[in-house]
Amino acid sequence: MKKNIRLLVIVGLIVLLATGLTYFDSFLYHDPVVKVENVVITSKQTSTDEYKNTDTEYTQKVRAKLLNTDKKGQTVSFRNTYYNSQLTDTKYRVGQQVILTKSGKGYAAKNLKRDTPLVFTFGLVIFLLYCMKFDRRKLFISVLINVVIYFGYLQIIIGTHNSILLPLTVVTALLISATALLVILGPTYSALMAYSSTVISTTAAILLSVFVLSMTGYSGMHLELDDFELQPYLGVFLSQVLFGVLGVILDETMDISSSLIEMKKEVADVSAKTLFKSGINIGRELIGPLINILLFIVIAENLNVVLLYLSNGNSVSYTLNMTLSLGIAQLLISAIGIVLTVPITSFISSKVITRR
Amino acid sequence: MLYLFATFVVLLLMVTGTRGLTLLFGLGINVISVIALLVLIADGFNILVTTGIIAIVILVVAIYMNVENGNTANTAFQTSLLIMAFILLITIPLEYWAGAQGMGPENQDELESFSLAAGISFPQLAIAIIVINSLGVISETSVAITSGLNEIVSNKPTLTPTEIFNDGFSVGNKILNTQTNTLLFNFFSATFPLFFLIHSLGYKFTDILNDKLVVAEILTTLICTVGVILTVPITSFLVYHKANKVKLKKTDN
Repeated sequence: MKKNIRLLVIVGLIVLLATGLTYFDSFLYHDPVVKVENVVITSKQTSTDEYKNTDTEYTQKVRAKLLNTDKKGQTVSFRNTYYNSQLTDTKYRVGQQVILTKSGKGYAAKNLKRDTPLVFTFGLVIFLLYCMKFDRRKLFISVLINVVIYFGYLQIIIGTHNSILLPLTVVTALLISATALLVILGPTYSALMAYSSTVISTTAAILLSVFVLSMTGYSGMHLELDDFELQPYLGVFLSQVLFGVLGVILDETMDISSSLIEMKKEVADVSAKTLFKSGINIGRELIGPLINILLFIVIAENLNVVLLYLSNGNSVSYTLNMTLSLGIAQLLISAIGIVLTVPITSFISSKVITRR
Repeated sequence: MLYLFATFVVLLLMVTGTRGLTLLFGLGINVISVIALLVLIADGFNILVTTGIIAIVILVVAIYMNVENGNTANTAFQTSLLIMAFILLITIPLEYWAGAQGMGPENQDELESFSLAAGISFPQLAIAIIVINSLGVISETSVAITSGLNEIVSNKPTLTPTEIFNDGFSVGNKILNTQTNTLLFNFFSATFPLFFLIHSLGYKFTDILNDKLVVAEILTTLICTVGVILTVPITSFLVYHKANKVKLKKTDN
């Protein structure tokens, strides 16, 4: 117990130290970084636009102390305008650190310095993990390997100018799901079973969906409205679908196959048919919650742009059509994958388990 | 797209039979709740209050319609409520600190034809986004851990609190791993277009680390992970508490 507390104190101190360091790391920045000392609002204008949105535009005069560059310690001031709603602009407060750019002789605000809260939140997760008796090593290994793979993936798509996006995504998906399974289940038969089920189910779902969608010429889908209008539209869309659905399908295949292995241990002479039926029964209960997970992630992802459309006087149906059509298509393809996984995993597992 | 929906419904009914209708009904209610949330926020209702109320409705539907065992559903629902409250509690100061609301300079092209004076508080919306993002993950995790723990407790009813917590962590280990994967892979899905764009804009490393959209995505993933982590001790506590109550009642009789 004492040892645990000592470890906890050490982890806590490292987290606080790392957070503290980012507070003093402005010497690493090329751009000037300042700490806001005084803010005065110089003008305030409330207006109502044609859609009856009332918003207030503020101009603030910010006085701040330079934390880096050769003028360190000097006080500078700049102007900043923002709307009360702060969609793209920011209200600066005393005590915040702000990254500036030079504009002419003076300075202008470029961005808020956000690395301190970022490192703090990351540290909070690590600290909580150490507070509890989780098997941290497995988690850290799998997350680390997968982040490295993702980093490599990013480097290659950047290097190839997005020209082989989809094949690369497929390879990456194969790698990250293999890593996840190997770390969680180890190099076992059940990992191999879950892996093959995941690959077959995901492939089947995507091929089937692409077939159905291409029959209607992708009508009703605004593929060109993907994130940042990145091309190739279909490739980007399918890559997002693939990454998004992979986690839940892995979850599902692992659950079904490990339950069936347990069953075989308890009842040695169980037939493939019985196993298949139990697999379907187990999987049936998983479908709803797993679709829910993706539903809320997809909605949350698009919330900002949905509300921007709605507040600009667009109707609900037009807004949903323009902002959520891709999200809904992604969700439907994922849902098809989640449903297909149940019989496919049950079939593969029941065959493999009874044969061994 | 209609064909895609039809394909989904047909497959769902083929695999799950009549259970599929209940599933569709639950999904339908959730979709309607979300649309109601959007419309209410756009009409100027307080974002945090509206999100809180709709989130509770969603949790009720997500948990009680998917779990048949009443005892498990109750514990899972209580856990989810506590986790949601905790997520709100840490997200509010973190978002205030990080100021990662709304949209970034990367969205400029999309924003050209819009009036940016939307009259909606995007800092509050940023908090709502994280809460909504976590709903599915939280409800699934709490249901999985509660049903796993309840099964263990019902098999050997004389468990000490330490034993229940230990069992909670052994059930929780695998769930923590799979949920982290789901969150991480969804982070990949959401950010690869962003990172691609950031590269073509020539950002430096320090620019990326402080970028509004990048920070928002990372915060969402991390805060949802905090929710998943906390589900285990809270569920263990509630299950222990309930098992004790049942025992006391038995000795009273």
